[in-house]
Amino acid sequence: MTTEEISITDNTDIQTDSDDKLLDVSTDAEKSTSLVPIDEYLAAGVHIGTQQKTENMMKFVYRIRTDGLYVLDIQSTDERIKLVANFLSKYEPSRILVVSARQYGQYPAIKFAKAIGARAMVGRFIPGTLTNPAVESFFEPDVIIVTDPAGDAQVIKEAVNTGTPVVALCDTNNMTSNVDLVIPTNNKGRKALSLIYWLLARDIAKINGTYFNYQFEDFEAGI
Amino acid sequence: MVNKVTNCTSCGVNLEERGFARFPCPVCDAEIGRCMSCRQQSNPYTCPKCGFAGP
Repeated sequence: MTTEEISITDNTDIQTDSDDKLLDVSTDAEKSTSLVPIDEYLAAGVHIGTQQKTENMMKFVYRIRTDGLYVLDIQSTDERIKLVANFLSKYEPSRILVVSARQYGQYPAIKFAKAIGARAMVGRFIPGTLTNPAVESFFEPDVIIVTDPAGDAQVIKEAVNTGTPVVALCDTNNMTSNVDLVIPTNNKGRKALSLIYWLLARDIAKINGTYFNYQFEDFEAGI
Repeated sequence: MVNKVTNCTSCGVNLEERGFARFPCPVCDAEIGRCMSCRQQSNPYTCPKCGFAGP
């Protein structure tokens, strides 16, 4: 009886050990799939949407809060950041244009452009920049990154005329007309925009094998 | 990208009128084409090679 008891206890010990190991492996796998821990996304408010929603963005909405706020799915945001980084790495960095009319997006956009060697146009977008060679700031990019499709409507309009693909950071209230690739995120928050641009720049540098020595704080715009 | 896609991935129309865009699939290297109308109406597209659904 004593030997049986010992064997049973031994088996149970082994099982619990293996279970713990399995649990550890699964948590590691979860950590490795996300670019940063989910808590950092939540702390930056990447998931915070608006009280309005569009049909285009409904597939990225995770839930509706009791106060009517639409919450974005962080998993899809994370996946899209990886996809967009992979997508942008296929282009020559100097042929990528980053645009931000929104105040809180300007600093991260400039930093992003500097980090990967792209070109940034922040503030007012001068009409004709993509279409009129007579304009001083004329530029013909291969791909455009837009911080807010509503605020940067002029650049999207010109991208349609020139046939340039558009990547856009879209919130729940944005229409995705003339946008070829969407990153569902809060595009109004200071920290959210900084985090998204930092992750994009970091992932592009990683794929391209270039040096990247920026921290999240370096991309954070001042209040 | 020697063989450029000649038809819209969403609706199949020829990419002749201005306003269309060609770009590589974010997952694989297959080329995706979108006509002006599908871009404007935000029609979904699916990569013929890997099945990635956009936008």
